[in-house]
Amino acid sequence: MTVEQDFEAVDQFPVGMRVLAVDDDQTCLRILETLLHRCQYHVTTTDSAQTALELLRENKNKFDLVISDVDMPDMDGFKLLELVGLEMDLPVIMLSAHSDPKYVMKGVKHGACDYLLKPVRIEELKNIWQHVVRKSKFKKMKSIVINDDHSQGNSDQNGVKANRKRKDQFEEVEEEDEERGNENDDPTAQKKPRVLWTRELHNKFLAAVDHLGVEKAQPKKILELMNVDKLTRENVASHLQKFRSALKKITNEANQQANMAAIDSHFMQMSALKGLGGFHNQRQIPLGSGQFHGGAATMRHYPLGRLNSFGGVFPHVSSSLPRNHNDGGYVLQGMPIPPLDDLNNKAFPSFTSQQSSLMVAPNNQLVLQGHQQSSYPSLNPGLSPHFEINKRLDDWSNALLSTNIPQSGVHSKPDALEWNHFCNSDAAQAGFIDPLQMKQQPANNLGPMTDAQLLRSSNPIEGLFVGQQKLENGSMPSNAGSLDDIVNSMTPKEQSQAELFEGDLGFGWHNSSLRTCI
Amino acid sequence: MDAHVAQLQMQYRNYILSLYQQGFLDDQFTELKSLQDDGTPDFVAEVLSLFFDDCVKLVGNMARALDQTGTVDFSQVGANVHQLKGSSSSVGAKRVKGLCINFKELCEAKNYEGCVRCLQQVDIEYKTLKAKLQDMFNLEKQIVQAGGIVPQVDIN
Repeated sequence: MTVEQDFEAVDQFPVGMRVLAVDDDQTCLRILETLLHRCQYHVTTTDSAQTALELLRENKNKFDLVISDVDMPDMDGFKLLELVGLEMDLPVIMLSAHSDPKYVMKGVKHGACDYLLKPVRIEELKNIWQHVVRKSKFKKMKSIVINDDHSQGNSDQNGVKANRKRKDQFEEVEEEDEERGNENDDPTAQKKPRVLWTRELHNKFLAAVDHLGVEKAQPKKILELMNVDKLTRENVASHLQKFRSALKKITNEANQQANMAAIDSHFMQMSALKGLGGFHNQRQIPLGSGQFHGGAATMRHYPLGRLNSFGGVFPHVSSSLPRNHNDGGYVLQGMPIPPLDDLNNKAFPSFTSQQSSLMVAPNNQLVLQGHQQSSYPSLNPGLSPHFEINKRLDDWSNALLSTNIPQSGVHSKPDALEWNHFCNSDAAQAGFIDPLQMKQQPANNLGPMTDAQLLRSSNPIEGLFVGQQKLENGSMPSNAGSLDDIVNSMTPKEQSQAELFEGDLGFGWHNSSLRTCI
Repeated sequence: MDAHVAQLQMQYRNYILSLYQQGFLDDQFTELKSLQDDGTPDFVAEVLSLFFDDCVKLVGNMARALDQTGTVDFSQVGANVHQLKGSSSSVGAKRVKGLCINFKELCEAKNYEGCVRCLQQVDIEYKTLKAKLQDMFNLEKQIVQAGGIVPQVDIN
């Protein structure tokens, strides 16, 4: 039964969930990594947003969830958030030392599933897996409903048309007139078979589109090229429409549209929009702008991911959210207390959050309503249900993105054990206090250097350490040698240094985490 | 030997407690310690070393930023302060974090003198903490070397 299936998936799921953690602050990153390990997730870390994107693009299915810091030098965390949502449609959690609600709002608007404050506690991380489940469940439902639309044919012609109309409204991208015409023109009375856009099917579609050219591709021709039995032009047409809009969104990212929302909302429209009356412009998540319907709109967008996820399925949720939230756009009234109180929705279930997130609330309902849907699309046995859908959506972006993304050098994560030779700071020695003195300091330490460079510079460390005891490697395990290195380096102990690195880490976890650090 | 170990352990306990009492460390440090286990015996040391690396780097950045002849880019200073605040709060470096909060305000107020002074304080503070923690680690080592186990200190 569907319910059990999902529960099973959920039960196994949190363990081994693959998280990509991005934070330029190595201290925080290290802590985050350990916390995540404690939660039994599989963790990959990087201190560069660019690297993170590369990793994700390399293989979209390699990760289930992304956690990213907000303030990063090479790319704004919000930007990364957008891109990830757009290209990979993965849940993204923001992390920051900024408790200012404005940042939280910004995160929400850009499509963050959640926003955590530093210092992050393990309790907060223990439940983040729910975002992944939620997202994938929603995708499943979207696809079911989409197929429903196709199959309803005459029996629900009006409803279908109404849905499509609304979809048209929501479409951020200019409607392809011919598509619209095609779709609305199709009064065929016969019941259309369910079409499941499996990977193979989609690949054929992609191939056909590719052959014809994205701009020029027409459903009829695509259909012919695809040569798939029982596929109708309408199926192709609507799929093409979605494809194109997804494309446009990807290429429009510079316009700072919340693309993830757009894709989601796109699907959302396809899903049970019945009742989603009040949900206009839901796709638009402009940044900090007043394009929303009054204050309520900001609320509407706060649980962005969630609204996207739930809106279509929980009309009551969507309709009540906007009206009830009059915080002047500030969703959180004191982190991390979730604004659950403000939502006079149904009782929020046991997920009393350590997370200040609305996500928790609808979760149960999502599950319940989700099960009202009939059978989920069949999934490849080898894949976790959550990723099948991801892949399907991701495929769209796949073909296009590979060429668009500028490559950048991978920023190597400094070896944690190289207890900062940089902290030699002649500065420190000179008892640097006066910034003006810095001018006189040797340039090598003060010039702009990457962290890697800093850490690798081999200036001897002096004077920083009060405790001058020589610490033997034997007693202090290698990793802790970090603090020891300073002392050690004062004596010629090159070999001990060497020992401290790759060689004899002896800590499996550390090894793996290093390995996955980029 | 046991007496020696016991004595070391007592010394260790007191030392840790004093660090908390004097406001050098806070609950977050306790959290960090709780993340350390047999499988990750050096976690705290490692994180702290990263933190102190960060301190050096950030303080250096801020010094440079404040050193500009001409206009000082306070937002740059502020960005570094923010980061330091984040990492210090993550490791439980209470005093450093506290200083960062003040520092941030000074940056926003573009108070040059105030910033310079605050930076000096930050510099002193993190170095002091570093020394203190090094002493703590040394004590741990001694205990282990003497055949004992490093006690879990309950901060109440």
